[in-house]
Amino acid sequence: MRIKKGLTGFIVGALMLGLLAGCVGKNETNGGDNGGGAAAGKVKLTMWGAVPPENGPQEVVDTWNAEHPDIQVEYVRFVNDDDGNLKLDTALSTGQNVDLYVNYTLTNLDKRIKGGTALDLGEFTDYNIDEKMGEDAASWKVDGKYYGMPTKKNAAFFALNMKALDQAGLSVPTAWTWDEAREYALKLKSAGFKYGLVQHTASYVDPLDSVLVKNGYVKADGTSNLDDPLVTKWLETLNGMMKEDATTPPLGEQLTSKMPVENMFLGGESAMINIGEWLIRSSNNMTEFPRDWKIAFAPVPRLAAQEADMVKSGGLGDFIAINSKSKNKEAAWEFLKWYADGGMMPMAAGGRLPSSNAVDQQTAIDHLLGDYADSYDKESLEFVLYGDKTPTFVRSIAQEVIDLRAQEYEKFFLDNQTAEVTVQNMVKRHNDWLKQNQ
Amino acid sequence: MHKSWMKRQSRLGYLFIGPNMIGVLLFFIIPAVYSFYLMFTDYKFMSPETHFVGLDNIRRMMNDDLFGVALRNTFVFLLAVPVSMGLAFIVAVALNKSVYWQKTLRALYFMPYITSGVAIAFVWMLLFQPTSGPINGFLRGIGIANPPGWLSTTEWSMYAIDIIWIWFMLGYNMIIYLAALQEIPEELVEAARIDGARPWQTIRHVIWPLVSPTTFLLLITGLIMTIKNFGIIQAITQGGPGNSTTVLSLFIYQNAFRYYEMGYAAAISWALFAIIMIFTVLQWIGQKRWVHY
Repeated sequence: MRIKKGLTGFIVGALMLGLLAGCVGKNETNGGDNGGGAAAGKVKLTMWGAVPPENGPQEVVDTWNAEHPDIQVEYVRFVNDDDGNLKLDTALSTGQNVDLYVNYTLTNLDKRIKGGTALDLGEFTDYNIDEKMGEDAASWKVDGKYYGMPTKKNAAFFALNMKALDQAGLSVPTAWTWDEAREYALKLKSAGFKYGLVQHTASYVDPLDSVLVKNGYVKADGTSNLDDPLVTKWLETLNGMMKEDATTPPLGEQLTSKMPVENMFLGGESAMINIGEWLIRSSNNMTEFPRDWKIAFAPVPRLAAQEADMVKSGGLGDFIAINSKSKNKEAAWEFLKWYADGGMMPMAAGGRLPSSNAVDQQTAIDHLLGDYADSYDKESLEFVLYGDKTPTFVRSIAQEVIDLRAQEYEKFFLDNQTAEVTVQNMVKRHNDWLKQNQ
Repeated sequence: MHKSWMKRQSRLGYLFIGPNMIGVLLFFIIPAVYSFYLMFTDYKFMSPETHFVGLDNIRRMMNDDLFGVALRNTFVFLLAVPVSMGLAFIVAVALNKSVYWQKTLRALYFMPYITSGVAIAFVWMLLFQPTSGPINGFLRGIGIANPPGWLSTTEWSMYAIDIIWIWFMLGYNMIIYLAALQEIPEELVEAARIDGARPWQTIRHVIWPLVSPTTFLLLITGLIMTIKNFGIIQAITQGGPGNSTTVLSLFIYQNAFRYYEMGYAAAISWALFAIIMIFTVLQWIGQKRWVHY
């Protein structure tokens, strides 16, 4: 009896202690966030981003922390996929420590603004985003306001095997159509490549969005515009390249084997790749991907006949928002300005070129290319990064629409349905979605 | 005196199950009830406003072509359960007798079950590679000129997933069957043999009925486990190509955690729950016909 009584008491006591400890612990962390930190004259900021710390962010925050003992920044990495974004959104909506966070798509940003977790930067008047970042920044405006700051210059391009181009007597294009690109792919394939062109899945639908940004995703009467004739043109061009020419891998095979397209291009299996600035991360890695040829760059081809009708994927990226629930908004703002105006430079080596005009172009390119500047065709690189004045867009449509489009065109490329049916299905599903989300 | 002792005893009992019950309440019962409520709202994660929308989500589900596709894919996925059990039974019977490498073989068959799902996914993706993968290499070798494209075609992708799943569950089913076989009294098999039963007849009329409770258990748990599973599909195809491998559980995951459509996802979850419920009840009714305890 006595023992049992003692045991009960012990367990109850242990539980109570646990609860108390929990409370105390919580109080302590809370204190550390606001009052306690301020008392010590120190502010602690947490920044969430998707780039692995070792690829630049750690160096960025280390530099800042060394210069600013009063404001210490900690970098937290989330993976930029569904699960990772969910983790960030959960942290934001449950009030965990997030002071600054990076948005990689307008779609995600939109949700976060609606959830009331992005601060309207209009309250700070000492930095003009439009002036600093140029006119491309405006595509990140939501309802005419900046809920964050775009910090990086996006670049979508075709990277080309310069040696192969020279041997085939082809020039580096500065503006071209998909028909021309298809010709290039054929000629290069016959010069001994397995494929003329491989595409990164992130860049795959850029040509479609180019068309639809220009001509509208939705018609004037509010119905889907996914039946734009150029959508069919895209489907048929790529399908021809996959099946008639065999100059590009069949999509089904590429998706299900998670084809490493960067390696294929750098390894000399493919002469061209449709990709973006992150290619440099791999192409600068000469130990893993040694090559004895230069990489040249060309804009992504257009589906439209007229050059004037082209709008290209690009614009700015890495849109950093300040959590509206953050207790250290001022400090976060200070850090953000510093980051955008050159603080982010260590990340250029991974392909993240600063978009602020406070940063010198040449310095940025030097950082980007590092020790291997000689292995790139500098002229064409400068052209796709800074010289090409084609207007740009940032993809802003909902994830559902991206997915439904992909599901239908995948079925087309797998010969499950004709181009005509594919377009009809896309339109039908898009219309359903539009109705659902009025 | 005795009564108060009992009382204290039961209080202590509650205290012991308390932590677990709190867990069940917090992480199972409350979320389940909450999701039932969500089914009737247009709740979107991160969105500030939530409205009561009545049966809109259920109506939407009924009109959603994708729901139909997911339902059909789910049933194709479920085919893996009986097939895997059948194979497991054969393997278990074979490995129950003393054969060479018995222990090694048992371990080998069980290996997939204890391997990480993502690792499995990548290995199978390589094996199923349509042009240079070993499976199609083998098929071409035995004279099949146009082997299926497996994961890269919409016709075959769901069956390819089935094959992976059969292989994955085989080890588990086999171990449970082995345990059941060990329980069978030697005399019964002996008696059958003396009566002149051939091995096949012994298996058919003696062993199979005797392990039927195990078959029943594996069938119910297997169907539930399969119908709920989406991890392996998420890792391999993410529901593609097209939407040929989108099963219901993956469809829920996409709506909830990709599109943040929590209300709609809750409605589909309850539809899935209803399906599992019906399956299970039907089996409980059906078991009287073929399960011998």
